[in-house]
Amino acid sequence: MSIVSQSPYVDMKALKKGEVNLGTSIMAIKFKDGVILGADSRTSMGAMVANRVTDKLTKVHDNIWCCRSGSAADTQAVSEYVRLYLDQYKINYGREPTPKTAAALFRKLCYENKNVLTAGIICAGFDEKTGGEIYSIPIGGSVHKQDYAIAGSGSSYIYGLCNTHYKQEMSQDEAVEFVKMSLTQAIRWDGSSGGCIRMVILTKNGVERLLFTPQEYQLN
Amino acid sequence: MAGLSFDNYRRNKSLEASGVLPPKTTSTGTTIVGCKFNGGVILSADTRATAGMVVADKNCLKLHRLAPNIWCAGAGTASDNDKVTELESSQLEIHSQWTGRAPRVVTALTHLKQHLFKYQGHVGAYLIIAGVDVTGSHLFSLHAHGSTDVGPYLALGSGSMAALSVLESKWKEDLTKEEAMELCSEAIMAGVFNDLASGSNVDLCVIEKGKPSRLHRGYKQPNQRLQKQRNYNFDIGTTSYFEAGSEVFYISKQSDLETSAMEVDQVS
Amino acid sequence: MSRFNPYGDSSGGSSLAIAGADFAILAGDTRHSTGFSIDSRDQSQIADLGDGLFLTSNGFSADAKQLVDDLRTQIKWYHHNNNDHKLSISAAARTTMMLLYGKRFFPYYVNPIMIGMADDGTGAVYSFDPLGSYDREPSRAAGHASELLMPFLDNQVTFANQLDPQTGEPRKRLDLDLQTAVDLVKDAFTGAAERQVQVGDTLEIVILTKDGVDRQYYDLRRD
Repeated sequence: MSIVSQSPYVDMKALKKGEVNLGTSIMAIKFKDGVILGADSRTSMGAMVANRVTDKLTKVHDNIWCCRSGSAADTQAVSEYVRLYLDQYKINYGREPTPKTAAALFRKLCYENKNVLTAGIICAGFDEKTGGEIYSIPIGGSVHKQDYAIAGSGSSYIYGLCNTHYKQEMSQDEAVEFVKMSLTQAIRWDGSSGGCIRMVILTKNGVERLLFTPQEYQLN
Repeated sequence: MAGLSFDNYRRNKSLEASGVLPPKTTSTGTTIVGCKFNGGVILSADTRATAGMVVADKNCLKLHRLAPNIWCAGAGTASDNDKVTELESSQLEIHSQWTGRAPRVVTALTHLKQHLFKYQGHVGAYLIIAGVDVTGSHLFSLHAHGSTDVGPYLALGSGSMAALSVLESKWKEDLTKEEAMELCSEAIMAGVFNDLASGSNVDLCVIEKGKPSRLHRGYKQPNQRLQKQRNYNFDIGTTSYFEAGSEVFYISKQSDLETSAMEVDQVS
Repeated sequence: MSRFNPYGDSSGGSSLAIAGADFAILAGDTRHSTGFSIDSRDQSQIADLGDGLFLTSNGFSADAKQLVDDLRTQIKWYHHNNNDHKLSISAAARTTMMLLYGKRFFPYYVNPIMIGMADDGTGAVYSFDPLGSYDREPSRAAGHASELLMPFLDNQVTFANQLDPQTGEPRKRLDLDLQTAVDLVKDAFTGAAERQVQVGDTLEIVILTKDGVDRQYYDLRRD
């Protein structure tokens, strides 16, 4: 097996010519009251920044969101499908789908179409019974339930950082600060990540969105 | 069968392998921009179409009407843009007849992105879609592989770098219509003069809430053909020929054509 | 694995030369481009070699620059060895051929055109291929728009495949007067700039007569 296919980040050569790439830093963490999803806002086409204020945090249901990395087209299509299936789930069964259901749908789509997709997804949601849940679905379609997940080309720079600084049962303020600090470093070292830091906080109180401009998060 | 024909796919592959080059497609190597303002949204484009480094069309129209209230500007392969927008405008018309409502911009966007995603980038349409509907005014970009972006100002095509340099430095919130028109045309002009694949004139379309959309064809024309120094008419007899002769062609009488056409109409 | 490629696509637009009975014209646009980007809008591509010789070399512009340097060196040596005797255009053309063929297996990617006044006082145009094959011609175009310019010259300078309506005989090539030739050059370039994206900005015209050198500039489209 080649080293490239074992690499944790997106295989850039797998992208089709001229394809829009979410060369990305994304993460999601569990904290005391729920989960926080975070992402940078850069999309690139080769050397060009195609969009500097992209929203890579996508709603698939009221309480279930995802972070997208890899091909913009592929991840948008996959999350649109999951959104459709979760809507149908609610109509058919009369109850809210769980984050685990959403993760299973992501897995199914990513695994069964692994030959044509370049999609690395973190699925996170808040569930009334179990609290916050985070599932990482990297390229290939495996599922990994985690307390925190990082992905995208920028994530390789912050494995050690997150491992050292992550604590369980953080307060919301601590958690926001942790995500901001981690993504700041990922953006700093990864050329294909940049722009703003976006966050989505999922708790029993619903959804809260945060935006940090480069002036707000950069150290200098 | 409906859809595209792939009959010649294998033949063309083998021709390509044996060194026969595929024909050049007309590319609208292009500058297109879109910009929102306080009462609606503006689309603008240059008018040059190229085949390689040769200008194929000096004044082509890259702004397409999808619906009376929704327009789009296209970059990429000219034929794909023409067909995909033509198809979508038909679908939107049918859809709005069916629902009895004016179509929404997201409807056009979602439908187009699903179509383009299905063809995995082989349908080379890169679009900026703009319009007003019951939910407000909208501006989106759509890449050939099926990804979409949202923004208050957008640029696409080979001249997008030049256009974006103008937009990024001069765009501000709450532009008036006149300011936005000036900004858009200036962005296109940056593409026209600095990107070789973009050129000729600036077309501009204003879509406003509660008003009919207005297309300004040739909004700016900064590259008029220069006056020729000499006259190049040839004298009769310049062209050589082997033999001369004439033949009279009979044309059926005008009245014959009219009677046959009128028979249908004359039912009273 | 990609290897270093010694040739690039950075290039000047196009150039054109016409020879008359007592003049020679060399013209070129001043746009320089790489891919779809403009490097310069006012880069002259007409090199003054001295001794009343002017040269354009369309193609890869780094090679073109090197060829001009080589030629200037050769001319300087010729002056040193021959008591500052003026190099005739026929000799300069042959020297150019030697320089080009000297790099037969690593050629300069250029199509040079040289003008000067021949020994008999007529205007001379010499054109070359990248390996050094050369000829004296009534007119020649080179560069990106050569396919657009050359048929126009064939039609308007050599009157190829045309009859004289009065006599019915093939139309004779007249010796063009200078003003007609300059007008043809301008029209050729405005036409080329309409259809070739790498041609534009400004047209530089060098006119050579027995009285000396005249340079003219003429605006082309800038898109």
